[in-house]
Amino acid sequence: MASASQSKKPQKLPGDKPSWLWPLFRTSVLGFILFMLSFPIIAFFINAFAFRWFYPQLFPKNLSMDAWENIFNPASGVDLWGALSTSLFIAVTVTLVSLIIGMPTARALGMYKFKGKRIVEFLILAPIIVPGIAYVVGLNINFLQLGLASSVFGVMLVHLIPVMPYVVLTLSGVFANYNADFELQARTLGAGPIATFYHVTLPAIFPGLVVSGLFAFLVSWSQYILTLLIGGGKVQTIPLLVFTAATSGNNARAAAISLVFIAPAVLILILTSRFLSGRSGAIGGLGKV
Amino acid sequence: MFWERFRIPLMLAPTLFVIIALFMGGLIYGLLQSLGWQPIIDNYDINLDAYANVMFSERYANEFWQGLALTLWVSLASTFFTSAIAIIGALLLRESFFGKKVASFLFQLNLPIPPIVIGIGMLFLFSQSGLISRIGGSLDLIERSRDFPILVKDHLGIGIIMAYVWKEVPFIGVIVLAVLQSLGADFEDVARSLGANRWQRFRHVILPLVMPGVMSGSIIVFAFTFGSFEVPALLGVSFPRVLPVMAVRFFRNPDLNSRVEGTAVAMIVALIALLLVLAYMWVSRRAVRQE
Amino acid sequence: MWRKITLFGLALIVALGAFVQVQSFQDTLQGSIPAIEGNSIGTWDEVLELARGGEVNWWMWGGSDSINQFVNTFYGGPLAEEFGVSFNQVQLADTVDAINQVLSESEAGVNSGGAVDLIWINGENFKTLKQADLLYGPWAEGIPNSRFVDWSNPALNRDFGLPVEGFESPWSGAQFQFVYDTARTAEEDLPRSFADLEAFAAANPGTFTYIAPGPGAFQGTRFVKQVLFEISGGQEQWVGDFNQELWDQWSPELWARLNALEANLFREGSTYPADVNELNQLFSNGEIDFTLTQAIAGASPGIASGDLPETAKAFVWSNNMIGDFNYVAIPFNAANKASALVLSNLILRPDRQALQVIPENGFGLGFAINTNLVDPADRAVLELAVNDLGSGAADPDELGASLVSDIVAEYQTLIEQGWEQNVLQN
Repeated sequence: MASASQSKKPQKLPGDKPSWLWPLFRTSVLGFILFMLSFPIIAFFINAFAFRWFYPQLFPKNLSMDAWENIFNPASGVDLWGALSTSLFIAVTVTLVSLIIGMPTARALGMYKFKGKRIVEFLILAPIIVPGIAYVVGLNINFLQLGLASSVFGVMLVHLIPVMPYVVLTLSGVFANYNADFELQARTLGAGPIATFYHVTLPAIFPGLVVSGLFAFLVSWSQYILTLLIGGGKVQTIPLLVFTAATSGNNARAAAISLVFIAPAVLILILTSRFLSGRSGAIGGLGKV
Repeated sequence: MFWERFRIPLMLAPTLFVIIALFMGGLIYGLLQSLGWQPIIDNYDINLDAYANVMFSERYANEFWQGLALTLWVSLASTFFTSAIAIIGALLLRESFFGKKVASFLFQLNLPIPPIVIGIGMLFLFSQSGLISRIGGSLDLIERSRDFPILVKDHLGIGIIMAYVWKEVPFIGVIVLAVLQSLGADFEDVARSLGANRWQRFRHVILPLVMPGVMSGSIIVFAFTFGSFEVPALLGVSFPRVLPVMAVRFFRNPDLNSRVEGTAVAMIVALIALLLVLAYMWVSRRAVRQE
Repeated sequence: MWRKITLFGLALIVALGAFVQVQSFQDTLQGSIPAIEGNSIGTWDEVLELARGGEVNWWMWGGSDSINQFVNTFYGGPLAEEFGVSFNQVQLADTVDAINQVLSESEAGVNSGGAVDLIWINGENFKTLKQADLLYGPWAEGIPNSRFVDWSNPALNRDFGLPVEGFESPWSGAQFQFVYDTARTAEEDLPRSFADLEAFAAANPGTFTYIAPGPGAFQGTRFVKQVLFEISGGQEQWVGDFNQELWDQWSPELWARLNALEANLFREGSTYPADVNELNQLFSNGEIDFTLTQAIAGASPGIASGDLPETAKAFVWSNNMIGDFNYVAIPFNAANKASALVLSNLILRPDRQALQVIPENGFGLGFAINTNLVDPADRAVLELAVNDLGSGAADPDELGASLVSDIVAEYQTLIEQGWEQNVLQN
């Protein structure tokens, strides 16, 4: 195929069909994909303000703030602020810890060749492949014996498992493109290791760190089954509330809690989306499984 | 000398601690449990009873094998459709046009949204009394909710697949966009100057370049869809159920003994996922080398 | 007019609350209560003293907003104000999560300081914990307000046929009822038996379905049980110990009838709703004609919460509608046993019992106490409350006439397994 087209000499350089057809096609396909992708969000907003919105009403006859009042009312038994702060605290701590312990590992994997590297890579990838349900049941008993179950600390520890692969993969992509010569120069010029890290390494890997942190945060933020089994009901995070609400049959409440759940995550995406490009190498790391 | 020699092991140590102590520890303990090993009650016998019961007993065999088929179908179909839509979307997004920033943002919008929330969104949209059915009703396309096609809680897992596609398109899309960006426009310009049309440029230039990224992204997507519980629990039918839901139902059975069966199902899910991913990696690496 | 009387009743209840508060110091133990962390219990005041300043973690199914709101308002408030106990409801997707927590703790050797203080429980779950010896007790006949409970009632002192023996204390009574929409279905068209229902489904295909029986979906199991009672000629023969012969005699016909019904079910029975919330949604959106409820107030709590249309109303078959009690139990390793006892006692206080049946309060389940055992003043309040159950309630006489008790838990397991194999997978 390729050789056949090469033998046919080009008549005009952008050798394509009528030029208005492509943009039309492109816009409609892209528009459809984007519309469908963002459609659920619209449904969440309608549901969250509806009351007795039964079929076949297209738009709710009764608009109501009941769901919102209900979820922010402590008497409803749903401590949404508490769950929100627990979720944030866990996700932020897990993100920071995973970046700190993942950085040297990613550097080793991204910059050096060593014996057993493939095995280490596979070990680190394994928690992505093996579902949480397979390891959390065994951990549950161990954590109970160690007194780690039902505690925020225990939940943070177990969140590290699915988070680490994402952090190491993305950061090793960053370090694969990283030139360590500048560090050496800084060191020869008399900078200490901390100063070197702060002034040389950190600025260079910062965009990649942001992407890594984004994935770490999102994985921890969305975690349901690990929190449920290790948190033992004592650690209430938003995903747990959302799941209960989803099966409670009250669409308005499910929609309202869902919106509270996605707001911080979308906000973080807005703040970090400019780093999600190929330049940092972090996303490239995910492409090298 | 000391530092040089232990430099790399030390750099790896913290992460490997998490993986080996927590992940492998949990996995091995779970495996022992599924083999009937219960040190608390001084039961050190090891047997495959739970596995045999789940896979071959008259009571569970039907549920297990149909569940396995459904799980495989759902995760393979989700992975395929996700990859295809993500590649198309990313390619279209790459060219510059008015409103590209907004379009890129919308494309990534579902990336941070947790799967369970996407699942709820699918119910809101596609159930027979959902928003789309209501729109159909108000346009007189359908007479009553029952005329709307069954898209969630259906036997083919369409609802589950849709939820995964919604959730994961941005993930693979971001990977493809990153690859495309790091390539620049050079390759394509060369091909274009040689007279390759749009399809040829896509098939012979761009696709081979983005494929490695898509493949590794799709491994992550496959493994995720194969092992996750929330979405199929919300959008699945009563029977057959995907294996992770079957496992959780065993755990949620007040009968004490069913916990061992639940662990066995979870172990089978883990084993199949691992084997499939390894096979896929092996095949895809060979395919890439041959290109 | 009833509304006015209810308001009057509520005022009375508030006044009564103040009265009971004073009286509570005279509350005395009705029987012995096992020691708590080495403290032997001689008087109720010792329990109150142990509980004061602590917390209580009540693990319960959290799938209903209105019930969540009810317990936090009507138990959480008084617990903090009157007893200095802080109330923490742990909302579960399924009660069995609490059972699993206790089982895991016991497996891990956590014999004190457990996470679960009190569980809303009955049936299968109670059987699991009681038979594994993982419950604290017996205490239920010892707490002061247990004097209002009629422990001689076989429907109450046996839970799915298993003797309670003081290991759980009743919270409320429930009875299976169907719900229809008065705007869609005429009262004279309502099916009053399973045979009627078969005819109704044949005449209106696709408009009926029931909850898939299984762990965590006891209403579905209960529906099938009621079908079994009818086709076998009555519930009486099923009372008492498990009878394998009887089961073998009737189960094939049970599956045959349910399979025959399948063709006329919603989506031809290719899938079944997982729980009552899903059933309610199908009903409210007009996809099916009937949903169900366990509440003595019928559809009224669902109307108040917006889950059901205002025209919804409960109805019953003329026979075989299973009624039972639900309970609270304390795990062997609960960290706050004294607080759990205080809460269990509060639940049985006549003013709380009156509040729980009023539909607007969101719970709507029946009394666990016997109105004949309380003081005349309390009785008046309880009767006032039960006389205004809202427009969604079924006729109380019909409810009473159709009431039958539940049967031993062995049948439940057989029904759930058998239904999966013979109906669902068929």
